[in-house]
Amino acid sequence: MIAISHTLIRQSVSTAFSKPSMSLDQTVESLKRQIASHESLLEDLRRQLAEAQFNQPPPGAQESQEQTFQASDDPLAHDLSHGIAEDYMNEVFAALSRPQGDHSPPNRWPLSQDEYKRYGRQLIMPEIGLQGQLRLKNASVLIIGAGGLGCPAAAYLVGAGVGTLGLVDEDVVEHSNLHRQILHSTARVGMSKVDSALVSLQSLNPNVNLVPHHGRLTPETAISTVQPYDIVLDCTDTPASRYLISDTCVLLGKPLVSASALRIDGQLMVLNNPPRSAGDPTGGPCYRCIFPKPPPPESVVTCGDGGILGPVVGTMGVLQALEAIKVLTRASTSENEQPVTEPPTLLIFSAYANPMFRSIRLRARKPKCAACSAHATVTPEALNSGSLDYVQFCGMIDPVNLLSPDERISAENYAKLRSEVNPYTGMEPAKDSHVLVDVREKVQFELCSIDGSVNIPFADVSGFPIPQPTASAAIPDDSHWVHELKNIPDKPIFVVCRRGNDSQVVVRKLKQLGLDNDGQRWIGDIKGGLIAWREKIDSDFPEYY
Amino acid sequence: MASGQVPSGCFSILYFAAASTFTSKASEFLPAPLDARSLFTTLEERYPGITAKVLSSCAVTVNLEYVDMDANADDGGDVSCVIKEGDEVAIIPPVSSG
Repeated sequence: MIAISHTLIRQSVSTAFSKPSMSLDQTVESLKRQIASHESLLEDLRRQLAEAQFNQPPPGAQESQEQTFQASDDPLAHDLSHGIAEDYMNEVFAALSRPQGDHSPPNRWPLSQDEYKRYGRQLIMPEIGLQGQLRLKNASVLIIGAGGLGCPAAAYLVGAGVGTLGLVDEDVVEHSNLHRQILHSTARVGMSKVDSALVSLQSLNPNVNLVPHHGRLTPETAISTVQPYDIVLDCTDTPASRYLISDTCVLLGKPLVSASALRIDGQLMVLNNPPRSAGDPTGGPCYRCIFPKPPPPESVVTCGDGGILGPVVGTMGVLQALEAIKVLTRASTSENEQPVTEPPTLLIFSAYANPMFRSIRLRARKPKCAACSAHATVTPEALNSGSLDYVQFCGMIDPVNLLSPDERISAENYAKLRSEVNPYTGMEPAKDSHVLVDVREKVQFELCSIDGSVNIPFADVSGFPIPQPTASAAIPDDSHWVHELKNIPDKPIFVVCRRGNDSQVVVRKLKQLGLDNDGQRWIGDIKGGLIAWREKIDSDFPEYY
Repeated sequence: MASGQVPSGCFSILYFAAASTFTSKASEFLPAPLDARSLFTTLEERYPGITAKVLSSCAVTVNLEYVDMDANADDGGDVSCVIKEGDEVAIIPPVSSG
């Protein structure tokens, strides 16, 4: 397959350049077609590679499978640690070891040889010990989200030897994920995140039973997905999923380790711990107790828009794994007694602050919480029927549509305006015939910008006060940029941003500030922003989002 | 971040995540004492629009302790609390991405 594709590439490259009769247009077209065809071939090869890697038995897998058989869910292992009559034990040993052949000696210990070696460094710690390791081994963990939080959390939990780890995600791996989502790889871009993560986790520790859950957690699927697990890690990225997961954990009595991260900040909470039933005030608070109201949708910033530093989200994911290990291995003070849980806290991480961590003492459950109090309105029936609309609860952003069609110009028409001779005046295009205002943040503008554009960040414009008619006519404290734009009253102003939303707000604001000279000067925006500019006009423009 | 001594007659307030973005500050000092009930109005005067855009969904802490800002006291609200000189208040918006 690979040899064939090499030949193909060589052939096609030589074809493209060996026919001088071919017009330049035809050559470009032909090259484009060939690139597309090779890209799809490449994608197919990547998929095959990933599948092959996934199916490849890791070194020693044969051996460890046998060991797993001897130890995991093995009644013998259980009996050994709890003590049974010796002669009976020998009989059982003999019976169990027969089908495996005589070469593998019966395991006298609750863990396999591989497990003692593999987990030795944590086994010798009093916080874990043999009992803690067995608790981990009998535990099942559900990680929702295989991204910046889920990857490190899963890596450490699989490394530590949890028995079963389920992974929920609907996305595919993208290049922009790789700086922080450490289970994925360049070769697996385009593969589903769940499958990609499973390839890494499988090779990390073949003793762990890995369960893929492709697709997004919805109110209809939440209960059946979460039910089989002992503990849940919320590694998702929207307010709606955070409320859904918290409600589900309360209904099913599962402790929840919730974390989040954006830019340089992170948050971590262990919720519904201990996981008592709704209305029991001794249970731990849930997400709704701490944040009863979702943030306004327009204020919710994604990692794609706001940015995220890899180690910041990594820190939070690693801490989630730590908290899960603490909850799972916590020793009961005596038989049949609930283990003692730590009082609930909210850990705030701020990477550029001093100190970087602050631990906030939280309250017990909120007496009127909609999910975990005696007045709870969140019920399994409501969840299963889909009558709880989390997306609506958290609100949706309406597409920004502030401007009329004649206040907007397409990327194509703007490009023409920059490059073509004016059909009316016969004037050669000049860069300074108009002003192009780029309203992205300065740091983004410095990454790449359209030639000749000037940067006036959105925050500077939106935060600028609109003069009141009652106040004096002059705009108080004129900013530098307002002066600049006023000094060139004849030049039309084109506003551009990343996607064409902020640019509309800015056009409105500039007109409110009177910069359009009562309609004499054209002010408008470029539809679809720089994303459209890249797609339609300049495919070389860096795609950093 | 507020570090070192809080000036006399003041408390320090820390702004995290979206609160820091909205105020363009990580922290500042505000005059104490202040009734917790007046905290949001005080901030709204300084930063118009902050209540709707940020504070309404925030957790608020005083000296690393969660304060329930719901007005109804028998609901578990703590609005009778007074922020004193030298206290550290934090505005903690929910971060949801990850």
